Amino acid sequence: MLPVLRRTASVLLVCILAAAAFGQNVPDVTLGVTKTAYAKIDLEVGTLDVLSGGLPAVEAAQQLESILRQDLAFSGLFRVNSTESGPAGEARRYEFAIRGSVEGPLRDAAQTGESEPTTVSFDLVTHPGGQLMLNKRYRPLPSQLRSTAHHFANQVVETLTGEPGIALTRIVFSRGSGDRRDLWVVDYDGEGLLRLTANRTLNLCPAWKPDGSEIAFTSYHDGMQGLFSLDTATGRVRQVIAHEGLNLGANWHPDGTEMLVSLSQSGDPEIYRVSPQGKVLRRLTAMPSIEISPSWDPAGRDLVFTSDRTGSPQLYVVDGDGAGRRRLTFEGQYNDSAAWSPNGERIVYATREQTITQLVLIRATGEERRMLTDQRWRNCEDPSWAPDGRHVVFASDRSGVFKLYVMDVVEGDVRQLTFGKEPDITPAWSHH
Amino acid sequence: MKGTGMNVRQLPVIVGLLVVAVALLLAAGCGGDKPAPETDADTMGTGQPVETVPEPVTPEAPAQPVPARDYAAMDPAEYGVEDVFFAYDKYDLDDVAMATLAQNARIFNEHPDVAVLIEGHCDERGTVEYNLALGEKRAKAVRDYLVSLGMGSSRVRVTSYGESRPFALGSDEAAWAKNRRAHFARP
Repeated sequence: MLPVLRRTASVLLVCILAAAAFGQNVPDVTLGVTKTAYAKIDLEVGTLDVLSGGLPAVEAAQQLESILRQDLAFSGLFRVNSTESGPAGEARRYEFAIRGSVEGPLRDAAQTGESEPTTVSFDLVTHPGGQLMLNKRYRPLPSQLRSTAHHFANQVVETLTGEPGIALTRIVFSRGSGDRRDLWVVDYDGEGLLRLTANRTLNLCPAWKPDGSEIAFTSYHDGMQGLFSLDTATGRVRQVIAHEGLNLGANWHPDGTEMLVSLSQSGDPEIYRVSPQGKVLRRLTAMPSIEISPSWDPAGRDLVFTSDRTGSPQLYVVDGDGAGRRRLTFEGQYNDSAAWSPNGERIVYATREQTITQLVLIRATGEERRMLTDQRWRNCEDPSWAPDGRHVVFASDRSGVFKLYVMDVVEGDVRQLTFGKEPDITPAWSHH
Repeated sequence: MKGTGMNVRQLPVIVGLLVVAVALLLAAGCGGDKPAPETDADTMGTGQPVETVPEPVTPEAPAQPVPARDYAAMDPAEYGVEDVFFAYDKYDLDDVAMATLAQNARIFNEHPDVAVLIEGHCDERGTVEYNLALGEKRAKAVRDYLVSLGMGSSRVRVTSYGESRPFALGSDEAAWAKNRRAHFARP
């Protein structure tokens, strides 16, 4: 069980509620991250019935319920009943309930040496009333119980909110120090940690291809930087592009057919569109300054990026031809690492106040700037959105070493995602 | 230098003496427009930089020849090249940096076959990507200055590690100052 670090979020919440109250002319579909702040769904998760099987079936039922509860709580969309009986739990009225059952294998895996599937059935019903909204049946092996619970959690989220669930998403990041940083991937709940590279050099700034089939990243070969791509099915790494200088900050187009990258082959870092094979399709900037950190909007029309053309790094937006430039940030002397939210409404980025880097949320139009973190967090860097447009993963050294944290930007809740002594940086959340 | 029998470990000393000698030449008005006369490095230590009498070179190699040092296989710091440091969030060269690079340029001119990799580094403050860009700016500022001092640009490659490979650990100005540097490495 991951520790959930609950921050004081009342001020944040008040701001959101106020914004929601005064923003009633805005259509509901565009409310995005503010929509659910005042509309949590009360949901009761019942104990799963064990219809057959021995102890393994009981344990499977407990594991499924535990993961399902955690997923629904992490979504930020539900108030889930407590497993501890008490007056607070009983007093609440639930709008929906989840009922489930498990039929264990007839033979015990410990005796047969083979793992047998468990039959799992989940119902989502209205409460009270019991009208069936969703029924799912699964036959997972013991090793598949986690993904089974995640899958049903996503089904519940999509059924009740129309939004994609994030319970099966993963986060890729760079772990290590000194001469070596490797890419690792972890499930969104901190489980399933896996190392992806072992090439004895720096591997940084991974970027998921939207379909999850590839991860582009920056690495070094003979001391020189290049952009590489890792096939997530085979683990094979290929070189995409390796021009003289920086080959940095890849960001896939939402349709997966090309990516943005910063190259400094012309002298200064500039933003380019390149094909997945590394062919330069178009140069988007041409300034004698640093142009880096591009991020497509979810429609794939505009991009936000960092430029220090005025003497300090600031965020700008241009279209896919490099035209129509507008400056997005005017506050702060150092704004970088922008990430455009999946619903297109907002942009999260890193700003430096004195010498501490903090996270900021801003509308894509440049309004409603608000801080997501404060100085108690020390440095917070490299934010990346979950596909639900509600959660952001970032790196913070609040514990003394950079580790990854996940924030619900609506509630302000934060949980630590990765642990251990090695620094974890540049996380990227998968699109599915 | 191979045939002179010079102890190449004295190289930094010799280079230093060469600097003094050139300075003397300039001070004496002998420098001017014309280049300093070609001198045998072996005679530089004799204090007779202008009038040189080359010692006869033994035609036969010594029984136990001192192998020429393979500078290409050495870290530049081993033959006297020094790193250059920067102010916070800056990539311009101050007077100290330019003096260091002038010294480095002389050493590189002594070894025209040696190539070098200039790595740009940053302190831990700021974002990973911006620091990679800033590190490259620093490395390129150093390369450009060396080129302006006559070093062939084909001998110099630049790369950036940003904040990823700090020389000093710690979160204070003492550590940060050590980490804002252009480091000379073997390519």
